[in-house]
Amino acid sequence: MDRTLETRLEARLADHLRGPVYQRHDETEIRIEAGSVPEVLRILHDAVDLRFEILADLAGVDTGEVMQVVYHLWSPLTSDWLRIIADGLSRDDPRVPSATFLWIGAEWLEREAYDMFGIVFEGNRDLRRIFMPPDYTSFPLRKDFLLPDDAARSPGAGVRHVERACAPAALADDPTAGVRRAPAS
Amino acid sequence: MSSVGGFVRGFPGQFWRRLSLQERLALIFAPLAIGAGVVTVLAIVLLGPPFLDFLRANLPLVRFAVAATAILLMTVPTAFVIIYLELKVIARMNLRVGPNRIGPWGSAMSVVHGLKVLSKEDFAPTGADTTVFTLAPVVTYMASVMTLLVIPFAPGLIGQDLNIGLLYFFAVGGLTVLGLLMAGWSSFNKYSLLGGLRSAAQIISYEIPLTLSVVGVILLAGTMSTNRIVLAQSGSLFDWFVFKQPLAALVFFIAATAEANRTPFDMTEADSEIVAGFATEYSGMRFGFFFFAEYVNVFIVSALAATLFFGGWTAPFNWPLAYNLNWFNPWSLGFFGWAAIVLTVLVIGSEFFAVIVKLLGGREWSAWDAMGLGFLIDLVLVVGVLGLAGFIAFDWVQGIFWFLVKTYAFVFTFVWMRATLPRVRVDQLMGFAWKWLLPASLLNLFVTATAVVLLNR
Amino acid sequence: MPPRRGADRPTSTREKPQAGGQPSTDDPRIILDRQIGADLFEPIPPYPPRTEREGEFYTLADGEMFLNVGPHHPATHGVLRLVVKLSGEQIVDVDPVLGYLHRGVEKICENSDYYHVIDQVDPLEYISSLFQEWAAVLSFEKLMDVTVPRRAEYIRVLSGELLRIASHTLYMGFLALDLGGLTPILYGFIERDEIVEMLAALTGARMLFNYFRIGGVNGDLNHEFMSRLGDWMSRAARQTEASAGLLNENEIFVRRTRGVGILDRATALRFGVTGGNLRAAGVPFDVRRAHPYSVYPELDFNVPTRTEGDSLARYLIRVDEVRESIKIIDQCLHNMPDGPVMARLPRLLRPHPGRAWGACEGPRGMMGVYSISDGSDGPFRFRIHDPSFINMETVPTLLPGNLLADTMAIVASLDPVMGGIDK
Repeated sequence: MDRTLETRLEARLADHLRGPVYQRHDETEIRIEAGSVPEVLRILHDAVDLRFEILADLAGVDTGEVMQVVYHLWSPLTSDWLRIIADGLSRDDPRVPSATFLWIGAEWLEREAYDMFGIVFEGNRDLRRIFMPPDYTSFPLRKDFLLPDDAARSPGAGVRHVERACAPAALADDPTAGVRRAPAS
Repeated sequence: MSSVGGFVRGFPGQFWRRLSLQERLALIFAPLAIGAGVVTVLAIVLLGPPFLDFLRANLPLVRFAVAATAILLMTVPTAFVIIYLELKVIARMNLRVGPNRIGPWGSAMSVVHGLKVLSKEDFAPTGADTTVFTLAPVVTYMASVMTLLVIPFAPGLIGQDLNIGLLYFFAVGGLTVLGLLMAGWSSFNKYSLLGGLRSAAQIISYEIPLTLSVVGVILLAGTMSTNRIVLAQSGSLFDWFVFKQPLAALVFFIAATAEANRTPFDMTEADSEIVAGFATEYSGMRFGFFFFAEYVNVFIVSALAATLFFGGWTAPFNWPLAYNLNWFNPWSLGFFGWAAIVLTVLVIGSEFFAVIVKLLGGREWSAWDAMGLGFLIDLVLVVGVLGLAGFIAFDWVQGIFWFLVKTYAFVFTFVWMRATLPRVRVDQLMGFAWKWLLPASLLNLFVTATAVVLLNR
Repeated sequence: MPPRRGADRPTSTREKPQAGGQPSTDDPRIILDRQIGADLFEPIPPYPPRTEREGEFYTLADGEMFLNVGPHHPATHGVLRLVVKLSGEQIVDVDPVLGYLHRGVEKICENSDYYHVIDQVDPLEYISSLFQEWAAVLSFEKLMDVTVPRRAEYIRVLSGELLRIASHTLYMGFLALDLGGLTPILYGFIERDEIVEMLAALTGARMLFNYFRIGGVNGDLNHEFMSRLGDWMSRAARQTEASAGLLNENEIFVRRTRGVGILDRATALRFGVTGGNLRAAGVPFDVRRAHPYSVYPELDFNVPTRTEGDSLARYLIRVDEVRESIKIIDQCLHNMPDGPVMARLPRLLRPHPGRAWGACEGPRGMMGVYSISDGSDGPFRFRIHDPSFINMETVPTLLPGNLLADTMAIVASLDPVMGGIDK
């Protein structure tokens, strides 16, 4: 538990914090608005007395009422892990600016959060699904996810969509109709 | 009467329906077999003598046909032996056991592999060019096998003693590239294409140092005929060309490894990147042909290395070349004499050993097992004694023996390299051929040519 | 289990026509109404590109082609699909497609209680499964304010380091196998087998151990384990040197890994790579030293670091780490305290609501777990941060410019385990 870290954070991030700095065991936690994520991360990365160089984790959280994006950072200057909770994302249209400008490794972590929760990271060049098939219609880790209905309703059920070769016939009464035409490119 | 007519009309149907499958097949094929037998006998009786006269008039043709058939037939057991050898040796080097279930010490493994590839479904992938796809393994296999025509196995045992033997060898051996390219292209698969192109580039690049390193040997022997090259080395151990052309031997060995697509140059079948290279889409007997062709290739390059640099069928030390067993005339025994000998040796010998096995083994060996093992021991002894007699009496047996020892020493070296070395990357492979082996073989050529000219002056 | 809604449950689609008279989508008969063209099996998705990067990737320039190093491949370390854009033999771009082994572990853990989570989290990085358990257990122990007895901590370190050696040995073998050498993998498996048999004597399982518990470990050291361990320790150093010597000096191996796939310091930090791959790039970040947990502050070991950042450096770092692990095991054995191996905990674990992050140093990097508790039997959110995921993310940056043959040298040297990547 690093008390000096608390003071340093409050000094640097005064108006971005939405609540007190919370410390427990060896973790320090701050809460910020979703919109201020880029500035906060930039300050934490660049400030000489903070220097949080390593992005340890980027996770999405669905609390049932709101969505959150939780970042974990590590700095050589402190013995604590820093947790940043970007709070208050609405469950209908969760949007957060992307962290890929600072850590390119956040690209896949954000893809995973998008895939699992539907959180849209603005500025991520490659925000597509990473684990689920590309035409999956729902987001599995959300609290309102119900498996049987979503799988049955998904047009991904039973379709081999990976390569064009095995595509089913497109909307024809003739059962011997051929392969779906290539999309006009 | 209607019932008789009905009975007569219905009898065949009823009779057929009551037969089982085996009986039906027998009923169809027995008359056909008898008919075929009659036709064959008639053909032999009527057409036989003119045919034999024709053959007697064209004896070289007969000799060639027999030699080619023998060589073709020889490749199959050779490939079997080398496959089994590779499996076992690599296993032992990996601290494993290798095949040990099928046959004694797993030796029937290759046969089972052969049967397995024969029994697989025969298909070509969608989009493949079926004709080329089918012919590619044929081309590769035949190119490999045709080169065996000029390898001297023993004094007097060579397929065809061409006086441009080595030229023929490299010309025909180069056709394997064609087969690999055909396979790579026609499979309609990018892995195969990459594999085929890699193999084409590799084989073509390594053919140049290969042939250049052999030109030194040709200069020393003064002939391109493989038989005469072996005869030129037949004086003593130090007449072997490896002592006169060490650099050429080394370059040849390395280039031959690349020619045969063996590790460390087996980029073409690098099964960690391009699955199986040009053979990705092949299965069944077509793949079996590629597989065979690879191992026959190993045999061929080993045989050529032994022939060109290590004296071929000559023995490393002086052996009284043929010891006459004149006191034993096999023709004097006649048919019954030979029958008696065969009976005694095989039957009584195996019983003898069976009894010994049963006495020593005790309760664990049933009577049938003991007889089987006794027969095996007997067979091994008989073959050994005959082989020894042949070795002493006939120089061609000695020749084959030494030739096979040297060839299999090289085969073992190839297998050893496969077990130990990782793969060289494609561009490093090419760089090695063009930047190191080619200048080395050219250097060797110049030095040899200079030496020959100076020594002849 | 949520209630079933309605009668439309997914039924088998094989051979049954769908609504509207269309043929079943699982019907394996492909009836083509056009000529078989060269683009029949191209790995181009049949939908328009969803993102900028996807559009840029799936557009072919002049002379380029796609090669699908598909999920079925002898050497992709599991079910990984790499769509490679090639220009001849040179790689221009790579798009890894994941998800073939996605099992929804995080969701399952939300529906399990805290004990069950440890069992569920084992198959993530199945080769070194104690480390996922360790991360999960570290996080839960912070949630519940549990102190682990010292003997349990020492046993955790001991088994963890043994498993680290086993994992690295396998890594060396697989790297050699992907480069074409058939022998080192078998030697590696012999060594791993010894260690895994040891751990089986200790934990009861050879691979997915399910050994750590919240507050300690499941069972104390026993005679079988100690005798096997002593046996192995007497040979360990020599065996390590012998196995490493198989490859370290091999000219072909060195030439294929030196200078290949260089991950430099800045790029590694920008990716968030951890573990041996980061230390090979010159950053001496090891969670055991940077953010010590368990009894690592009391143990004396070095953190090997190299600066080249190529595949050879990543390989050599793991060889060094094996030596360090042997040192740690030695110290653990000498300093093993007595005492219980489990803390006294209530049978029904219901922590106060809260959040906790726990991270440990696995063989591939930092394995982290972020868990949120809502006061009930199981975690409300169980987030796993897997090091292989980030390691695999560097592949589209490392691969372009190299030859196809280097794909395996680079991917294998990063040591990915698909179970962890796909969760």
